[in-house]
Parts: sequence; C-alpha cells; structure tokens
Amino acid sequence: MAGSGTATTVDSEFMSFAPLIILLPMLAFPVILFLGRVFNRNPFWKDKMKEGGIIALVVMASSLLVSLLLIKDHLGGFLVDLDTPDFLWLNTHTYSSGNLVGHSLGFGLYVDHITVMLLFIASFLCLLINIFSIGYMTTDPINDNRNHRFFAEFVLFCSGMLGMVLADSFLWLFIFWEIMGLCSYLLIGFYYERPSAAYAAKKAFLTTRVGDVFLMIGLVMMWDLFGSLDYAVVFDEANIKAAAESSGTLQWALGMMFIGAVGKSAQFPLHVWLPDAMEGPTPVSALIHAATMVNAGLYLVARMFPFFGSEYLQNDLVDLAFIIALIGGLTAVMAAAIAFVQHDLKKVLAYSTMSQLAYIFTGLGCAMFLANTLDWHHDDDAHYIVVIAFGAALFHLFNHAMAKGMLFMASGSVIHEVHHAHHHLHHHDHHDDDHHGDDHHGDDHHDEHHDDDFDAQSMENMGGLASKMPLTATAMLVGSASIMGLPFIGGFWSKEGIIANAWRVALEDPRFFLPAMCVLIGAGMTGFYMSRMWLKTFAGKPKTEVAAHVGPTNTWIKIPLFILTFVTLSAILFAGMSFTHWAPDPEYGLLSEKGLLDGIVYEINHAFANPNTFFFILTYVAIIIGAVVGPGLALSLYGGNLAEGEKVKPWMKPIIKLNAWVFDRFNFDNSSVAKSGLSKALENRLYFDHYYDMAMLKIVAGFSDKSAETDKNVVDGVIKKIESGSQSVSKVIRSMTTGSARDYILMVSVGALAIFFLLWGVS
Amino acid sequence: MIDPAWVSALSAILFIIGLGGAFTRKNAIIVLMCIELMLNAANMQFAAAAVHHGDPTGWVYTIFAIAIAASEVAIGLAIFLAMYGKHETISLDDVDVLRN
Repeated sequence: MAGSGTATTVDSEFMSFAPLIILLPMLAFPVILFLGRVFNRNPFWKDKMKEGGIIALVVMASSLLVSLLLIKDHLGGFLVDLDTPDFLWLNTHTYSSGNLVGHSLGFGLYVDHITVMLLFIASFLCLLINIFSIGYMTTDPINDNRNHRFFAEFVLFCSGMLGMVLADSFLWLFIFWEIMGLCSYLLIGFYYERPSAAYAAKKAFLTTRVGDVFLMIGLVMMWDLFGSLDYAVVFDEANIKAAAESSGTLQWALGMMFIGAVGKSAQFPLHVWLPDAMEGPTPVSALIHAATMVNAGLYLVARMFPFFGSEYLQNDLVDLAFIIALIGGLTAVMAAAIAFVQHDLKKVLAYSTMSQLAYIFTGLGCAMFLANTLDWHHDDDAHYIVVIAFGAALFHLFNHAMAKGMLFMASGSVIHEVHHAHHHLHHHDHHDDDHHGDDHHGDDHHDEHHDDDFDAQSMENMGGLASKMPLTATAMLVGSASIMGLPFIGGFWSKEGIIANAWRVALEDPRFFLPAMCVLIGAGMTGFYMSRMWLKTFAGKPKTEVAAHVGPTNTWIKIPLFILTFVTLSAILFAGMSFTHWAPDPEYGLLSEKGLLDGIVYEINHAFANPNTFFFILTYVAIIIGAVVGPGLALSLYGGNLAEGEKVKPWMKPIIKLNAWVFDRFNFDNSSVAKSGLSKALENRLYFDHYYDMAMLKIVAGFSDKSAETDKNVVDGVIKKIESGSQSVSKVIRSMTTGSARDYILMVSVGALAIFFLLWGVS
Repeated sequence: MIDPAWVSALSAILFIIGLGGAFTRKNAIIVLMCIELMLNAANMQFAAAAVHHGDPTGWVYTIFAIAIAASEVAIGLAIFLAMYGKHETISLDDVDVLRN
C-alpha cells in the first residue's frame, strides 16, 4: 500500500479498555435475562428498570464512551494497527507435508480507518436505538412480561456487531457475524405467537445461512492461500505477493466471501428475507435491519480493499469488482421499483434499505475497480481518484446508517401512536383523555388486540399526521431528504460521489455502463418512493378516523429522533472533516487533510462546480432526476393540503404548500399504471419468493421422495432381513435376561472394572 | 496453560457424575445425557493426555469421538421416540420387554 511505511501508528492508553466495548454488552446479556425471570412481576423492575432497558442503556452508554475515547485517540494518526492485547485462546498443531506446524488462535483488536467509522456508527446507534426501545417496548401493547428477553437479545446483538467491527481476523469476524445472525433470528421472531413472525425469522436465518456457507468456503480457501486469517498476515504485502501467483484462486475466495456479504446485506438474489424481517419489533428493524447488521456485508467487502489495492494483483481482480458493482446496480433499481407499490410503511423502508445498500456496493465495486486498475501507488492523480471513490462509498454507508436508523425510529413512532389511537377509539368510550404513552397503558386491554384486522403499519390508514406529530414528521422529512440526496442534506454528499465514480469507471470499462446507469436512474426512483412515503403518511387529509386522533409520542422516543435529525443535517460538517476521504491512505487520511472550513468549501466546490465538464453536467443531471423529477411525480400523485384548521411547524409549511399546489394542478389518474401487469408483479415482489419456494419444493421434496423410496426398499429391506434373523436368535437368548436397563449398565461397569483390575494386576 | 492433571481430575469427576446418574435415574433421556457426560469425560482425558505427551493424536481421537457421539445421540433419541410410541413412557423401569 502506498506510504504504508510512513503511516503513523498511534498508541492509545484506552486500548487496554477497548475489549470492554464488546465484553460489557456480552456480560449484560445473561444478567438481564436472569433478572428478568426473577423480577418479572415486580413493579420496581417494570417501572424504574424498564424491564432491563436501563441496564442495557448503562451498558451501551459505557460502550459508546470507551469507543469515543478510542476513536478520539486515533483521529490524529492514521492506519493504526494495534493488535496488542492478543488474548491467546489455544495452541494447536497441524501436520503439513509431514511436519508439525504450530498455530495459535487468539483474539485481538484491529483498529484502522474503516473500524473507526463503523465503531462510531455501531456504538452510537446502539445507544440511541436503546433509548428508543425503552420508549417503544415498555409501552408496546403486545408483550407483557417478555421485554427482558428483548433487551437481553438486544445487548447480545450489540456485542456481536461491535465485536465484528473490532475483530482482528476474518475468523473472528465470521464468529461475531454469526452471533448477529442468531440475534437477528431471535428478534425477528420476538412476537413468536404470530405465525408470520415465526416464518419470517426462519426465512431470514436460512437465507443468510446460504450466504454464510459460501463465506465459510471463501475463508477456507483463503486459509489455504495464506495459512492464516489474521488481518496482519493476509494484508501483508509480502504475503499478498506470494499469493498473487494463484490470483485466480484468490479471486474465487474473495468472490465466495462476497456471496456471504450479499446474503447479509440483502442483495439480489438473496434479498428475499429483508422485507419479511420487518415482522420484528420496530427498534429491531431500526438497529439490525437498517443501521448496523446489514452493513456487515459492506464492511466485509470494504475489508477486502488491500487485495484490490495491492500492486501485485493489479488488473487481476477486475471481474470481481465488476460483479460487485453489477449486483449493486441491479439491486438498487429492483428494490426501488418494488418500493413504489408497497403500502406498508416499514416495507417501503425495507426496500429502500436494500436499494441504498446496493448503492454502497456499486460504490465499493467501482472503487475496487479503480484501485485494481490504476497505478495509484505512484501516480498522485490516480491516488486521489481511488481515495475519493472508496471514501464516497464509506461515507454513504455512514449517512445511510444514520438516516435509515432515524427513519425506522420515526416510522416506529408513527406506528406506535396509530396503534394507541386505534385502541383509544375502539376500546375506550372517552377519546378526550390525555395521551401519555406511559407505562400504565400496558396491562388492561391487550388481549383482544390481536383479533381485529386494523393494520397500524399501512399508509392507507394514515395521512395528515404532519400537524399531529411534528418532531416525528420533521425527522422523517430530514431522513427522507438524506436518502433521496436532496442538495446540502446528508446523503447528497456521498451519493453524488458514488454516481460520479460509477460513471468515471464506465468511461474506462464499458461493462460498468449498466451499473452506472442503474445508480443514476435509481436516484430518481429513490426520490419518488421516499416522497410518496412521506406524503402518504404526513400530508393530505387523514384517511381513517384513527389517523385523525393520533397524538404526539413519548419522550424516550423523541430523544434519538432529535439527535439523529441534527446529525443528518450536519453531514456537511462530516464531509468538511474529509470523511469522504475516509480511505486507506495516510496522505488523504481522516481529519488530516484540511481545516474544517477549508474542507467544507472544498466539498461544496467539488460537488457543485466540478472543473471537469462531464462530471459538472452529471452532477446536475443527478440532482434534477433525484430532487425534481422523482419527488415532483410523487407530489402530483399523493398527499395534498391538510385538513381545515390543522397547523404545521413553519419549516414544513412550504412543503405542504408546494404539495397542495402541485397536487391540485398536476394530479392525474395513474390507475392504468397501477393496475398494469408490471405493478402487480412489483406488488408480488417480482415473484421471487414464489419461485424460490417452488424451486425449494421441487428440489427438496423430490430429493426426500427419492430418499424415502431408497430407505424403504433398500435399507429397510436389508435391515428387516437382519431383524427377523436376529429375532429368532434373540428369542433363545433373552430367556436368561432381566430386561432392566439399569442392570445392563451395572454389568458393563463391573465388567470394565474387572478388566481394569486384571490389567493392573498383570502390569 | 492449565496443568493436564487438573483436566484429568475434572474428567474423573465428570465420569463419576455420569456413572452415578446412569445408575440412579429413571428417565431414559437423562440416562442418555449421563452417558454423554461419561463420553465427554473420556474425550477430556484424551485431550489432557495429548497435552501431557505433546502429541496431537489425542485431539484427533477426541474429534472422532465427538462425531460418533453425535450420531449416537441421534440414534438414541430415535429409539426413545419409538419406545414412547409403543409404551407411552420413557421411564426405564417400566420397559422390560426383553425379559419374557
């Protein structure tokens, strides 16, 4: 790697505390589970400890604190590789061509630029979503006396995510990866009495398992090449040089690992589990299926950068880079198209997650292509291009995690309040009592709740909520704008970078034209479905009586929404701090290039006044598609003015006004499109689940039928012959037995003892 | 590293616990678990001996034993299931058809 010799290694006094980031939540897992069982009906436990939520909160806050101290120490330096506290687990030996070779398996921490970013995202969002969960779960109408399980699994998940980020080898990455998979399964199936939730949990677990099998094959292949899975060994230039002789095998190994990433990050063709995973409680969707776990796949691909960037593998991994970008591009467009027709608020967000993750995959694929083809170790311009491309993809990961975590929490807030409003209307006579959203909502009227078929998640039952839930509406607006990439807000800075780099690569290699086109069109599609979601939920007149009676949400839910709105809006600050240059290279390192103000000016210049004419035009085309065409179409189709007498906050007024104006003038009848075959196919998720089920049925059922036949005729036939023979023999023998299993055990023991004494005596 | 002697001692304790359980319990599944416990004690003894002699053969035996134990459990549980289907009990005291 260029300049790796000059990389400054910073020693941190907090490094020795770093294992606490993983250990604290892991230890809290059994504690919460145990205490929950003991204190289940205790009012102190329920009200003051929030059924374990407070314990989880303390633990996650400590994790965040240690993480921040660690991150702070690493901001000044670069490429910090501290594998110092290596906890030796065991020593083993293997035979290798006749010789004994020793291996030691230990756990160490590896901290570099990618780690630092994901560590911040994971620990920060874990804490915020923990706060949100306390507000959401303890007033959740469904589960009484089960929430300690939620918080216990929640902290175990956090420990898995933080461990995966900090691990110093692919093996430990895989172990923590599976811990996350387990928690994902448990939490999706949290409402296990609901068959759809149990099914979704199973589906998510099995689908990601398909990817994981490939990941494991990839790891075995890599072990074969390098003899180790430690980052310190596999990223070593000398070892890469040795492995470059079999670069084809290496490409296959990385490709196999990429399939694992595809499963975890819900990309085509292993994407089918993510929408169903929305069966879990909303905090779970926010944390696991939007902000952290689904990023694990991206993290894995980003970790492969040293291979792509190595001088010795130049031009050898181009095909894999193309496949990564292609899978990303296809998923981006496909998921966005399916999001067009979803009515479930959380499903729209799920498809949006899929689509945005696909953007990041495309960005990474293009960055990998550039790193693999350009001579960036010696050429300064090429160096700069590679660094920017890689940084843009990672920066989008950051922006997406923040915005999507917030969007899910906001959607949870909406669903939660619609639910409560529904309860008030249908199970109470008085609508006028003040809505607290407090604990005492818990117990009285929840048993009948499952019976009615009111869907609190359907946007068809919402509308006009902007005036009733101002903070939630604002958070949702900012989050949507960030995902859409409206200029100056959040995801804009990174999305422009990804699109520009996709086209830069497309100019060099015509194969990349397809993914580049996909991400450009996808920008417009994102604009449409995100606007549609916001307008259907918050603008227009209430579509049901329930929506007209929704109240504001509780404080626990408001805190994280407020914080994340701020973070998303201030993404330009992060961009200014050269977060877009978050790349494996000291010269363009994190926070080391320019001052904050210079950085911001530079970013704005780079985005809006690019000196290269092609990219200048491309930027504006992307802005027009993503910020005008897509949202404009949604404005004319959905929403409209609020009901009479409803007031919204001043910053949302222009949007509602614009919506009302566009809606009145340009509304057109889209029923012919809505009823078309394509729309129907999209509503059925392009029949992927259908075909997968059919294929599984054909393969598995066919195989089982054949196996059953073989078993019956061949295996059983032989066994039956033996059986009838031994029956007749045993009839003779068994006349002299007692028939008690205990006697047999006794006889065996006595016999063994007798043999022992005999041998003893002989020796 | 832990002294292999301690591992041996733990293995012996495990074995005795398992043997005692196998003698005294009625429930067939618990007896099976006890047998597994004894098997694991043996595995541990292998591992301890492997460390003591610095010879990895013991580990190889352990791996084999674990694989075989897994299939053995599967068969054992299948037998109990069949036994329950036939006798509606898995108490070892109530099943002594071999006698007559």
